[in-house]
Amino acid sequence: MSTLNAKRPVGLAVGVVILGFLAIAILGASWLSPYDPLKQQVSERLQKPSVEHPLGTDRFGRDVLSRTLHGGKNTLLASISALGAALAIGLVIGLVAGMYHGSILDTLLMRLIDVLLAFPFMVLAMILAALFGTSLLHLLIAVVSVWWVSFARLTRSVVLHAKSEVSFAAARVLGASNGTIICRELLPKAISPVLIMATFELGSLILSIAALSFLGLGAQPPSPEWGSMLSDGRDHFMQAPHILLGPALFIVLTVLAFNLIGEGLRDKLDPYEKSEL
Amino acid sequence: MGNVMKKSMIALLPIVIITMTGCATNSNKASDATKQANGEAAVTAAPSNSTGENKQELVVVSQEIAASLDPVKPITSSYLRLIGAGEALFKVNAEGKVEPELAESATEVDATTWEIVLRPEVRFWSGKQIDADAVIASLERSRSLDLQALPFLKELTFSKVDDHRIQVRTSREHLPVPLNLSYYQTLIHNAEAAHDAEATMDLSGMYKVVEFAPKQKMVLELNDNYWREKPSIRRVVFEEITDEQTRVLSGLGGRSHVVLNVPVTSLAQFNSNSELALEAAPAANTQTVYLNLKQEQLADIKVRQALSWAVNREELVVLAAEGQSFPVATWLSSNPAYAQARTAVYDKFDPDKAAELLDEAGWSLGPDGIRYKDGNALTLRLMTWGGDKALGEALQNQWSLIGVKAEVRHGDYSLIETARQSGDWDASIEAWSTFGDEYALLAGQYAPSGSANYGGFDDAQTNEMLSKLEKASDDATRSEISYRINERVAQQAPVISLFPRPQITAVNKSLKGFEAHFRQFENVVNGHLALDSE
Amino acid sequence: MYKNLMRKMLWACLTLFCATLILFVLIRLAPGDPIRLLLGPPADVAMIDTEAYDRKVNELRAHHGLDQPIVVQYVSWMKRLLQFELGASIHTGRDVGAEMMDRLPVTMLLSIAALALQIVLGLFFGTVSALRAGKVQDQAIRLACVTIASTPSFALGLVLLSFFAVTLGAYEISSDAGITRLWLPAATLGLMGAPPFIRIIRANLLSELGRTYVLSALSRGLDRKRVVRHALRNALLPLITLVALSLTMLVSGAVVIESIFSWPGIGKYALDSILLKDYPVIQGYALVMISVAILIHLLVDVVYAIMDPRIGRNREADLHEYA
Repeated sequence: MSTLNAKRPVGLAVGVVILGFLAIAILGASWLSPYDPLKQQVSERLQKPSVEHPLGTDRFGRDVLSRTLHGGKNTLLASISALGAALAIGLVIGLVAGMYHGSILDTLLMRLIDVLLAFPFMVLAMILAALFGTSLLHLLIAVVSVWWVSFARLTRSVVLHAKSEVSFAAARVLGASNGTIICRELLPKAISPVLIMATFELGSLILSIAALSFLGLGAQPPSPEWGSMLSDGRDHFMQAPHILLGPALFIVLTVLAFNLIGEGLRDKLDPYEKSEL
Repeated sequence: MGNVMKKSMIALLPIVIITMTGCATNSNKASDATKQANGEAAVTAAPSNSTGENKQELVVVSQEIAASLDPVKPITSSYLRLIGAGEALFKVNAEGKVEPELAESATEVDATTWEIVLRPEVRFWSGKQIDADAVIASLERSRSLDLQALPFLKELTFSKVDDHRIQVRTSREHLPVPLNLSYYQTLIHNAEAAHDAEATMDLSGMYKVVEFAPKQKMVLELNDNYWREKPSIRRVVFEEITDEQTRVLSGLGGRSHVVLNVPVTSLAQFNSNSELALEAAPAANTQTVYLNLKQEQLADIKVRQALSWAVNREELVVLAAEGQSFPVATWLSSNPAYAQARTAVYDKFDPDKAAELLDEAGWSLGPDGIRYKDGNALTLRLMTWGGDKALGEALQNQWSLIGVKAEVRHGDYSLIETARQSGDWDASIEAWSTFGDEYALLAGQYAPSGSANYGGFDDAQTNEMLSKLEKASDDATRSEISYRINERVAQQAPVISLFPRPQITAVNKSLKGFEAHFRQFENVVNGHLALDSE
Repeated sequence: MYKNLMRKMLWACLTLFCATLILFVLIRLAPGDPIRLLLGPPADVAMIDTEAYDRKVNELRAHHGLDQPIVVQYVSWMKRLLQFELGASIHTGRDVGAEMMDRLPVTMLLSIAALALQIVLGLFFGTVSALRAGKVQDQAIRLACVTIASTPSFALGLVLLSFFAVTLGAYEISSDAGITRLWLPAATLGLMGAPPFIRIIRANLLSELGRTYVLSALSRGLDRKRVVRHALRNALLPLITLVALSLTMLVSGAVVIESIFSWPGIGKYALDSILLKDYPVIQGYALVMISVAILIHLLVDVVYAIMDPRIGRNREADLHEYA
């Protein structure tokens, strides 16, 4: 039991180190990649990992390691921007809903959230794809339009908690306007749990992007992207499972890094306890 | 801590029990399957039904099964025919020749009239005789309710001569009526019966449907009153397993005797399995890139020909079909009767010639490796659907080597249809059948009003040859004109032909009498089938 | 409390109405004609001229009411709905309600089994992880969670299927929805959905155990096990929201797992109907799914009100918080 309150800075440090390693690998992809990620070489297709190709080759004979490194940029850029957008939208809506709790606005927003949650994600994405297009941008829009919900709920519950605190009442008494209260009081309180939640959501986000790649949404050929590499590798999975190794390994490392950082941050900042979801 | 553990254990218990039960009921299967895996003699079809008795049962799995029992509903009749429940007047055999099925014979009386003689002994399951009235009623029902039957029945008019003879008048001369009446869409069914339930449906095949769960499972039993040789297997189970790898696993696991639509990417998994034989009868269809001739860059014939010269078809066969096919440079040549034209016009992979043609057309190579003309880049949006994404990616790569910037748009078929309707498309990939009446096939593809003429191809010479083909009176003329049309079209290049789509079926060696057929999708069950028993 | 519930139900109906209206309009605006899609992708022979075909298509469109303005179509759908009829599928001609009734219970069976496993795994490993925080077991569990959460579902599904069905022969691959075939897809889904549960129980239990009342109870010498049990109970309350979320996602159809294990549920049915633009089916499916989701959330509210007696008038904020 004595370990309960022990600080675990180790986790945070490990997370940062892994993230650093990933960042170097991905940003330096052009220099670190042994081959051109787009070059097809039929004679070398579906090769197992070897000295020449540390992660093997895919169905077109392209080097998986090179594609994974280059793909990291696409995947991480896409998922981080989607996450950022979802976070921003969720924060704003959560703040508004929580601030005006009990009003029509709040109720409407909560109903909207209900509807969006009820809608199977894939279904929504497909309808949006049919209406607007299948590029990476459209995929991100589809993703953001569903993911902001959990951030909004969290923000709202944080706001509701905060409203029962002394500082809030004091600000009110002092005559601060709603806008000022939102910015000065509520926003700082909401940011840390939301950020921490975001670090945990990143993994699921990357996989959702991968799932949508199955439907043809997302990075179009031949750009490498971890999600589409996973879905492209499905055809040969039973015959040559090593194709998935590259993107899967990097996804695991990324998610691990962000999770460790998230948990480390939470320990440091000691945030609201029950505000998971 | 201990209490929590205990609680969790108690909660886990029901799950463990369920799992054990599940495993126990499958333990019989386990011993059978391990015997198989050890290479011992093939085992009977495992009795997975609730009757418990060891009855012989054939299990066929496919990517899709019918959503309905009514032969006029989309594609339903192909499944009914595949599984031996329904029959048409004629049938195409594995060698490509049309032979009588429910009909006894057909004679061409004159250029626009045929007479069909029916067999007197054929009956529906209900016992009703399949006479001229019944046949005409069935065909008229298909004509009015089945969109897919239109191409075959549109030009035919039926009238009764007597109880067993039907006269067919055709709107154009020398139309091969038996061929038209061999397609599954012309399946003969009892037009007076209600085809919405197993008990009321009425067909003529060697197996009767006794159980049906739409798009899931169909169970059939032998029709004891069948008019000719019956297989010895009493029950057939026809199941839908949409995931291609799961389908393969069901064959490898020993449960399924016939696995249809085996994906080429799983062939390696069969290497270590000695229970299954692979039948790879090449289908008569051609994977083709259809080009939109209304687009500026594609209106120029030189560009289109360059695209065709720049395609390395051998490489495509490896990348997209795992080597299970062969290159065809012209559309009709995937039909075995026209095999000579396989390397006509584009007899080899020639990127230099392609580059030359593009230079002549005014598209010069820029510093970034892409060709430009008047400041515009040579771009191509290639739309793919289904399992063709890899093919699209391979083509994109091959064309990039001659300076074409191709973009692959993979999605659902409906997106392609929509794009074609709006006219905002460059290229798409499809595979149409190349077996059938040559005029119908070629006109459907290359006549200005043909429904597969997506790109707006309208060539005077081709049109002239097509009208000659329409009037051709004997096989030799037909064949010659078809060859010429095929060649002309390849030269004009409104489409780029690639290779026939592979069609692979896995058959358990315990099943005897299975016949490989180039139209396997409507030929699985036949009268000679028998299962080995242990 | 009842007034609250009534109000919630009213809002639920309004939500349902708005959502279905939006969906109705959206799918009709999306490109694609369900009647043309009946013909399907390229088949045998292309037609030489499409006049007869076009005529047929127009007839069918009129038959299904698709040539009328959207508002009229919505009103007639609503009218039929009030008579508890969901209409007939354009593709198969069968009643949508009947088709859904074939598949929904099948998916529910799988969902509940998977959810049960997720909860059990979450409770067990979450507690172990929290009580051994920082030690080897904790790190191992957390690493396993991240790995499982980052594995694509088809990979896990295919590996398990191949192992149990082919190598061991202990699992039957067919299209039946029997109890004997339930365990493997349920186990796969349960395993894949367990990491969030494990993580949340761990986090909540840890923070609960760090609270003053726990430390004071321990310092007063109360039995350790009892204290932990009490802390666990308090830590579980927020879990209910996660259960609701997980159940909603499961019920709307785990398409990939259902497809790999050929489990005839509602996921693939819904996906196919979207591809085919089968409007009545999409509308029926959306209606049922949104209703189920709203129902689950209402249930969550009730459960919270019952379970946490501390939630009185003052703490109504908390009740809404989890709503």
